[in-house]
Amino acid sequence: MFLALKEIKHEKLRYSLIVLIILLISYLIFLLSALAIGLASQNTQAINSWQAKTVVLNENANLSLTQSVLTKKDLQDWHQNADTAYIGQVPTVAKKAGRPSVSAQFFGIKSQQFIYQKQVLLAGKRARAPHQVTVDVTFKQKGYRLGDWLKLSGAKGKYQITGFVRDAKYNIAPIIYGTLPVWRKMRLLGPDVVASAVIYKRITAYHHGNAKHYPIAKLVAKLPGYHAQNLTFGLMIGFLFVISLMIIAVFLYILTIQKLQNFAVMRAQGIPSRVLVSATIVQAVILMIVGVALALALMQITLALLPAAVPIAFPPMIGLVTAVGMLLMGVLGSFIPVRSILKVDPAQAIS
Amino acid sequence: MIELKHVRKIYGSGQARVVAIQDINFKIVQGEVALLMGPSGAGKSTLLTIAGSLQKPSSGEVVIAGQEVSKLSTRELSKLRLSELGFVLQAYNLVPFLTVAEQFQLVDRIKHNGNLSHEELDKLLQRLDIKQLLNKYPNQLSGGQRQRVSIARALYPNPSVILADEPTASLDSERAVAVGQLFQQLAQEYHKAVLLVTHDQRLETYADHIYQMLDGKIQVADN
Repeated sequence: MFLALKEIKHEKLRYSLIVLIILLISYLIFLLSALAIGLASQNTQAINSWQAKTVVLNENANLSLTQSVLTKKDLQDWHQNADTAYIGQVPTVAKKAGRPSVSAQFFGIKSQQFIYQKQVLLAGKRARAPHQVTVDVTFKQKGYRLGDWLKLSGAKGKYQITGFVRDAKYNIAPIIYGTLPVWRKMRLLGPDVVASAVIYKRITAYHHGNAKHYPIAKLVAKLPGYHAQNLTFGLMIGFLFVISLMIIAVFLYILTIQKLQNFAVMRAQGIPSRVLVSATIVQAVILMIVGVALALALMQITLALLPAAVPIAFPPMIGLVTAVGMLLMGVLGSFIPVRSILKVDPAQAIS
Repeated sequence: MIELKHVRKIYGSGQARVVAIQDINFKIVQGEVALLMGPSGAGKSTLLTIAGSLQKPSSGEVVIAGQEVSKLSTRELSKLRLSELGFVLQAYNLVPFLTVAEQFQLVDRIKHNGNLSHEELDKLLQRLDIKQLLNKYPNQLSGGQRQRVSIARALYPNPSVILADEPTASLDSERAVAVGQLFQQLAQEYHKAVLLVTHDQRLETYADHIYQMLDGKIQVADN
């Protein structure tokens, strides 16, 4: 620690530049992680807010809500309880004169069931009539107001916004919560159709007619684009970790090579190799802690400055895990020059 | 005390084989100053590195403070160098990113006992006229100042043997005489064994033994 700190104090410019590089890499990793999580959460925000464990779908729908239709016959053995909710989903476009059109997902729900009751309203109240809807807060950000009348593609008539709801996005699109009869009309379905799916808050098994249960994670994994998007971000973040490891290793290796004569003198004086090795590792840890901490601070400033429309989320746990990951990369990188230190010949001190 | 018995050092093999030193029998005892002189390439530096346990001989025996060096592990060798040997090197044995005061603190952090006391260090710094330089970094010192700090650093762990490589190379006559007197005093009053590898004839006055080295062999020039 003594040697590590003294050297950093003496070589301020050199180590500041290394910290700057670590800061920039860490910031990039944080930013990409936050964007990946932000986008992923916009895919699954509504599902997560329901805290559902199981979904019952038409087994021929290839795990797609849009393709799934469940009839009364399919659900005749299903036992309703407080943890169950029907949903009827259909993509739509909401329009109102003077406001931008919004591509959305219409979710027909029942007012006696938990999805209706668990809506977190940021403004207004829950819909009470068939021509009323609650909408995701995105609508508010796009200029819509409470009381606005929407025209929905595929539906007759107009629907009045009675409330803005938090955490109501599905597959990146904002949700419009309405009723199941409206959904049936939008999809031109008969009265024997109950819903697109049944959402259940517990793990259960159900198979009757065309209805089959699936873990909710399977539905999420099958969301269009979700898997590819997560894979892309995951690869970018993974590569950045590897690149950061290499950069730290190369920096420390070059620094070590430049210091070999000093190390030889210290070894000749009887300073044990372990002291020199631990100084190098401690130095890497200090540089990483400072660089990552500064990147975290910069990230918080970025989050505060970015407009709400940017899909970004940076939960503390992700910040912690990423920061620890970067620290581990730093420690790993610092092991690269260890061999050179151990091989220093103290006789080089006399030349 | 350092004793070398039939020491030989060979570098390379085949046609590239070079005998750097051969059949060296050499002893430096505490209380004496020995001068090792000779032309460049005579094997002085090789002898110094072997006497200082920085490298092992190809054959022969090296005994430092009663311990046979070839039997010691790397860790034990480090410990031996730290506690028994003080190096004053031509390239200055100072860590560039530590102030003069921190050079001594580094020793304290590794060797907790047996170093010079505050008073002893103070006296040494005054004697070498470097007390006012405690907060300076090596690159802020002149060549002569660095050499004197280097001598103080070597003496700080209170070693029984001092090995110096051209210790007066950067010093003017007045300073060189002071350093010569210091080494003589260290040998006589503090009971150190001192080996100085040098070209500087000004130091001959302070030596108990002067050895001439030529072609890897020692010849006693003066006793």
